[in-house]
Amino acid sequence: MKQFRSMAYPYVIWIAGMILLPMLLIVAYAFTVEGTAFFQGQFTLTNFGRFFSDAVFVQVLLRSLRIAILTTIACIILGYPAAYAISRAGVRSNLLILIITLPTWINMLVRTYAWVGILQDDGILNSLLGLIGLGPFQFMYTDFAVTLGMVYNFLPFMILEIHTSLSKMDPSYLEAASDLGANKTQAFLKVTLPLSIPGIISGITLVFLPAVSSFFIPKLLGGGQYVLIGNVIESQFLTSGNWSFGSALSLIMAIIIMLSMFFTRRLDNNREE
Amino acid sequence: MKRKTRLLSMVLGSALLVSLLTACGGPGTDFDGTNKASGDSDTLKIYTTGEYTGENLIENFEDQYDCRVIMEYFDSNEMMYTKISAGDAYDIIIPSDYMIERMLNEDYLQPLDKEIVTNFDLMTEDSLGLDFDPDNDYTVPYFWGSVGIVYNKNNVSLDDLKKEGWNILQDTKYAGKLYLYDSERDSFMMAFKALGYSMNTSDDDEINAAYKWLCDVNNTMNPVYVTDEIIDNMINGTKDIGIVYSGDASYILSENPDMGYYCPDQGTNIWYDCMVIPKCAPNPELANEFINYVMTYESALDNTETVGYTSPNKEVVEEVTGEGGMFEGNEAYIPRSGFAKDEVFHDNEYLRQKVAELWIKVKAGSKAE
Repeated sequence: MKQFRSMAYPYVIWIAGMILLPMLLIVAYAFTVEGTAFFQGQFTLTNFGRFFSDAVFVQVLLRSLRIAILTTIACIILGYPAAYAISRAGVRSNLLILIITLPTWINMLVRTYAWVGILQDDGILNSLLGLIGLGPFQFMYTDFAVTLGMVYNFLPFMILEIHTSLSKMDPSYLEAASDLGANKTQAFLKVTLPLSIPGIISGITLVFLPAVSSFFIPKLLGGGQYVLIGNVIESQFLTSGNWSFGSALSLIMAIIIMLSMFFTRRLDNNREE
Repeated sequence: MKRKTRLLSMVLGSALLVSLLTACGGPGTDFDGTNKASGDSDTLKIYTTGEYTGENLIENFEDQYDCRVIMEYFDSNEMMYTKISAGDAYDIIIPSDYMIERMLNEDYLQPLDKEIVTNFDLMTEDSLGLDFDPDNDYTVPYFWGSVGIVYNKNNVSLDDLKKEGWNILQDTKYAGKLYLYDSERDSFMMAFKALGYSMNTSDDDEINAAYKWLCDVNNTMNPVYVTDEIIDNMINGTKDIGIVYSGDASYILSENPDMGYYCPDQGTNIWYDCMVIPKCAPNPELANEFINYVMTYESALDNTETVGYTSPNKEVVEEVTGEGGMFEGNEAYIPRSGFAKDEVFHDNEYLRQKVAELWIKVKAGSKAE
């Protein structure tokens, strides 16, 4: 296999230039004094101190985590039955998967803008509700709108991951379970669900990570006052020009994400033991 | 193993080199080879805010000067500054007053070629000879205006507005009915003016008082912070009060006659957006031609009729505000003059950092559990 190793070099170069170098720059910025100029050189911890000493930033972080967790749970509740049904659909399951992934052919930003048109005060949803004499309700700029936008955008990832793990499952396990006297519910709880947990966990990773750091969904559907950690980071880079504080925030986010991935993996490993 | 680390260091090294080389340098150092000597003389790169040019402006220029124009758009002056300071090259930028002052101080701009730019006598007196560039050596005004309150005349009483000024944003009678512009500069400007301070202050107590004022608005009035969505939403009458630039206001007023425009007596911001040529412009000659072209009657008319912002061209202003003109009787089109409390923003690094830091806290406070 040794001779194939060199084939990975293009990817190594890609990783070094596009992932490793920017990560190193973020770390470098995070520990130096503020400014956009390249390396002002002075080591400091003030960027981190500023984050932890100000209740507002910690609150923003907690709010981001809360919305991301809510989104992830909603995606599991909606996605699992869908994935289960698709994996049982036989020859039609390919078509169903195509339908699930169809929206992702359109740019995410455009799809999120479409929700603005649906949810706004004189939007489609309120006009429909108006026909049956309800409303108008305020949907835009609420927790509901932001969570809805996130669930809508990230749900396909959850369905695909769970579907992959379910469709890999050997159907004879279920036959064996029923031979041994398990009813359908028992077979599901004892066989299907445990075998699909790796899929759920990769689904969680694919939903939770973008949800916790998303900045344009809260900005469009939540309005400028809906500040999540991604918006704070964006504003540090684009409007305040304080790259150092922005980098420190990114680093804190990265650590939280790594920790949460570590614990979900642990969960998975524990189960297998 | 050894080979791998060498490869890695080579990649890191060359990536670093690239990032350093793309920084704005003198002629001949640009990474992609577009320097003054060998630059493509037929391409003009313009960096401006979105929806800020007349519908035929660019096309006509391309025809007249047999060149190609590339437009790029920024969301805020700060975003533009970040890109320029990171080394991106443009021929024309259209930033606001305070940012021009900053770029002049930091030596990012090159003087105009007054052999080419000659149309100064077409411009209004109000828009020339501004503090940051008294002889117009570097800048030519593009649009100018004020910041004010667009209000629904049926639901908001003008008496309240006159009595309370900016403090109407704390009048709970109108809670839940307002849009604020999601910009720290304009929001802090209102707060400073409401409290009777200068919007160019560096006094910590005054800045903190303004921060408190904005937090009060935020926590008692349930405002929604948006940017350009404000225009369509005010035209649709979704909410009753919106903080708007005068140019957007004149468009809103011309689309929805229920709306009025009011600048409080406490003072407001008078602003100027100007065309400038950055030092590292690949094609300064064409840039000068473009500036002179925009100053002409036809171009300025196209600009103001499409965008709705106030033109600095004398004849155009007379035309559009005169009888039968597009903005006849529009109270937002011509920015007021003669109010001692009206101010132009100045470049103030301390204030800029301070309000950027505080603004995200004002907004973040609104959803605090």
